[in-house]
Amino acid sequence: MDNIFIIYSLLILFLPLAAFVIQIFFGKKLPREGDWVSVGAISITLILAISMFVMMLLEYNPDFRHEASFTWLDMGAFSIDLGFLVDNITVIMLLVVALISTCTHIFSIKYLAGDIRYSRYFAYLGLFTFSMNGIVLANNLISMYMFWELVGVSSYLLIGHWFEKDSAADASKKAFLTNRVGDIGFFIGIMLLYTAVGSFTFTDIFNGVANGMIAGTALTFAGIGLFLGAMGKSSQFPLHIWLPDAMEGPTPVSALMHAATMVAAGVYLSVRIFPILTPDALLVVAYVGGFTALFAATIAVTQNDIKKVLAYSTVSQLGYMILAVGTGVYTAAFFHLLTHAMFKANLFYGSGSVIHSMHHALHEKHDHETDPQDMRNMGGFKDRMPITYWSMLLSTFAISGVPLFSGFLSKDAILAGSLSFAQHHPEHFLLPVFGFGAAAITAFYMFRMMFLTFHGKPEMPELIEDIHESPKEMAGPLVLLGTLSIFIWYTLPYLNPLSSHGWFTHLVVPIDSVVPGNPSANSIEEGAHHAHGLAMYISIGVATLGIGLSVLMYLKKVLSAETWRNRAGFMYDWSLNKYYFDENYDKYLYQPTLRLAKKIAWIDWELYDKYFINGFGRVTSWASRVTGKFDYNIIDQIMVDGFGRIVDNLGGTLKKVQTGRLQNYLLYVTAGIIILMIIQSF
Amino acid sequence: MTNLQSLSFYYPELILTVVILAAIIYDLTLDKSQSGKVGWLLVVGLIGVALAIVFQENKVTTLFSDAIVLDPFASFFKLIVILATIFVSIVSLQSGELKAYRKGEYFTLLGIITFGLFLMVSTVDLILVYLSIEIVSIMSFVLAGYLKQNTRSNEAGLKYVVYGAFSSGIMLFGLSYIYGLTGSTNYFEIQHALAGLDSEANTAIVMAMILMIAGFGYKISAVPFHFWTPDVYEGAPTTITAYLSVAPKAGAFALMIRFFNQVLADGGGMGGLDSSSIATLPWPEIFSLLAIITMTLGNLVAIQQNSIKRMLAYSSVAHAGYMLLAMPVMSGDSMYAIMMYLVMYLFMNLGAFFVVITVQNKTGGETFDDYKGLGWEMPMIGIVMTIFMVSLTGLPPTAGFIGKFYIFASLIKGGNEFYWLVMIGGINSVISLFYYLRVVKVMYFEGESHEKIVQPPTVMAALLLATAIPTVLLGVYWTPIADWVQRSLVFFIQTL
Repeated sequence: MDNIFIIYSLLILFLPLAAFVIQIFFGKKLPREGDWVSVGAISITLILAISMFVMMLLEYNPDFRHEASFTWLDMGAFSIDLGFLVDNITVIMLLVVALISTCTHIFSIKYLAGDIRYSRYFAYLGLFTFSMNGIVLANNLISMYMFWELVGVSSYLLIGHWFEKDSAADASKKAFLTNRVGDIGFFIGIMLLYTAVGSFTFTDIFNGVANGMIAGTALTFAGIGLFLGAMGKSSQFPLHIWLPDAMEGPTPVSALMHAATMVAAGVYLSVRIFPILTPDALLVVAYVGGFTALFAATIAVTQNDIKKVLAYSTVSQLGYMILAVGTGVYTAAFFHLLTHAMFKANLFYGSGSVIHSMHHALHEKHDHETDPQDMRNMGGFKDRMPITYWSMLLSTFAISGVPLFSGFLSKDAILAGSLSFAQHHPEHFLLPVFGFGAAAITAFYMFRMMFLTFHGKPEMPELIEDIHESPKEMAGPLVLLGTLSIFIWYTLPYLNPLSSHGWFTHLVVPIDSVVPGNPSANSIEEGAHHAHGLAMYISIGVATLGIGLSVLMYLKKVLSAETWRNRAGFMYDWSLNKYYFDENYDKYLYQPTLRLAKKIAWIDWELYDKYFINGFGRVTSWASRVTGKFDYNIIDQIMVDGFGRIVDNLGGTLKKVQTGRLQNYLLYVTAGIIILMIIQSF
Repeated sequence: MTNLQSLSFYYPELILTVVILAAIIYDLTLDKSQSGKVGWLLVVGLIGVALAIVFQENKVTTLFSDAIVLDPFASFFKLIVILATIFVSIVSLQSGELKAYRKGEYFTLLGIITFGLFLMVSTVDLILVYLSIEIVSIMSFVLAGYLKQNTRSNEAGLKYVVYGAFSSGIMLFGLSYIYGLTGSTNYFEIQHALAGLDSEANTAIVMAMILMIAGFGYKISAVPFHFWTPDVYEGAPTTITAYLSVAPKAGAFALMIRFFNQVLADGGGMGGLDSSSIATLPWPEIFSLLAIITMTLGNLVAIQQNSIKRMLAYSSVAHAGYMLLAMPVMSGDSMYAIMMYLVMYLFMNLGAFFVVITVQNKTGGETFDDYKGLGWEMPMIGIVMTIFMVSLTGLPPTAGFIGKFYIFASLIKGGNEFYWLVMIGGINSVISLFYYLRVVKVMYFEGESHEKIVQPPTVMAALLLATAIPTVLLGVYWTPIADWVQRSLVFFIQTL
């Protein structure tokens, strides 16, 4: 434990937990309900994460890697080691978590001011940060799985923060249950690998797979199992249904968990396990990701709730990352994770700032009917909220893939990867189509959101007087993260806006897959490099197309959105209603399951409980009653009292001292010894 | 090693002796109301003794001309005993029952019991076996009857005296057989001599061993030698009940393991009772039978009790049965399991008694009726008692589960002739669920909820946490204890 990285990691892991413990027990009693405890603890982790990051940059070594572990359970043949793995990916991810978490803490001070469960909110934020850091630091699947579940729990608690609202309570339940579906797959995957390899650590598993301890279909299933976990957490089709509903939670939580960190955990897992995914498993991954990217984008187009647009946009962007893993350019996936975390968190803070302001304005007017999140009630906020506007605009450029912004670089790398994949496997031409299609639609709906919210005439002119820029606790994170949407932060020390070449590409280098039959990291990179030029032109083209269409439709109003909506007909309805996924899941999954559960409950209650359990209870109680009767009637009444009566007859006064009973005991001892002696002779 | 040389290895016991003498003298200087200070003297002294033991933990040798041994196994049990003594000393200072009495002698006697238990866990000589059991017993008699103005306590003390005398008489009878058969009182020589006897002597050996089991069985309260337990546990001051349910039991198990492992099995090889030259004798059967009737009777009768103290008395009989389950195998795994179980049992059982003491201090009652609605009135008591009850039942994620897990695992590893013992052990755990959870039910679902919340006094609260936290923690992360037990499973062996 003499390693500074491990010590820093331990502190980063446990400081938020300490904040959680303090907040949950004493939060209410502390001044300002203890928000300073949480903010203080998280700020220290940010400082530690930054210093780790700087140390990593100073080393500037792609093979930088530290590991430490200890034995948790040792039961002879079965033992579980828990441990840390700190490499470049870990350090970058820790910084992302610490940075966004700190911003969220600071942002929440004002956003949640006056909330009845203010201290508990901060406690749960601490719990979440602890569990997320746990996932990031894990060097093995089992502790990753435990922290994975803890993340699920804290997500449940935070989505349901306002549990008095039925929609929030339902959303938290939905998020938790949908994640369980994926987690079952995750667990099966872990167990498949453990039975084959006999260890949970990444290193051992990679070595085991390289040595052929598990191969072929079994390995494909194990990989897909693990990927199912990633699908649940990263909200991939068809498990995407929980993320939009999760927007019921407070907006800073959406920024932290449902944009930047928790949902990225699935991508992080996929990046970590990439070397053991077989070609078949990778194909599944690629198609799930690609399809999700396009599919979620088509839903985002028609949403009117500002947070729903962002939610579907997150699903779509996560699909991109998963697509990148599937096509082999998994470092690009991690790159996009990093840039996306910054700009998407910022967009959520921006939407939070808008909603906060709307809420405030509606409150002034005593209007509790109007939905403060509906973009159809906004418009013309640009001059009232300049910081929010400009900051969100930067991030919108980034997500739309406009050159000079971070998203362009990472998205381009992903698209180049999928294009190269299709060039080598022409039968999978759909993958780049998904990618570029989603890119065009993304640019369109993001600008639609910006125009509807900030440009044009106010839809509710009576409100506009009360719309104000948010306080500095909320504006600060916006400015910071808005700045981080610009490309130079990711390409230093180089300044070429069209190439992602920089510290990131130097430090995060792909490693070869250990599965025989997968192309080497080198050949994948080479392919992507060749496709880079073409991908860039198409990508700029589709972005221009999307933005242009949006400008014509919502800014210049040359094209009527109304007409196009009617022309689209049923497609519009489907998109608006999210392709009726919730309704169909309800009809074909939940209701039949509920009916089955009721039947099983009937068997359990009417047959098993009534006859078996109660029967067992009756037998036990009968047996003990018999023993008790024996004790009372035979021993107490006949023998003890009998002896007492004899003593009474003989001496009389000795009865009160009850020595008779003691002698009786001695008699039993003697009898017991004699019985033992008799038994042994058989 | 000669007596004089041995002294330099005997300093933990020497320190303890000094502490005991100091306690007696210190008590003379104190008023009656101040006499509790002797308890703190004892606690500090015991911590010193513990440090001394830790310091010599890895020594393996015999002392005083092969009368006692010094090995990690003995050190392990000494530390367990010290931990229990420290816990009980501190809680005794808080006890309401003892308020009216001078406490100097009380703590001195606790110190002497500790000394007796030290002898018990390290002896390899029959004479010292008898002597150590007597030291512990006689001090226990006095302590059980310590509440001079309480007739129940007097009765408990008296019963204990007679019963104890009877049991040690029987054991002495057995010891004399062994001496007659082998001509020695030393374990190593006995083992050697027994192996040399022809099979005609088998009946005599078995007789002798059964008589000895009666003596050991009395100390661990195994059925049918347990009859003193409920009466003494109920009558004695609750602090002493808590102590008797843990420390002498640990000592007697150490004595029993060492005796049977050394004399009847192969000593250090830990190959089990089958590995000995007199393996044809029915040891596994006798121990299996004892274990089964002990836990079954303990559990069944515990269900019938109305007093929590008496219920815990029968529960401690049942737990002796669980530990006895591992005796028939007598392998390294099973000794390991018993030692693990004792650590877990120490925390959960002491904790349960501490709850009883806290409630007794407050209401003076110890029946189920006194616990009605307690979970709402004293939330802390409710929570920790629930933890202890769940742990005593053996449900995860508590220490009790891990203890049972290791016991059952050692049986399964022992071979399929022991599987049925696991089944009976499992069924017994289910039965015990009934009376343990009844406490929880009474605390939370009966009686009225109170507006006023009562917190236990600080020292009591600290003691409750000091037992409750390990009870939960060891259910989740027990590797340090497992390592410690593993290190301690080293016996002194002597080949003749």
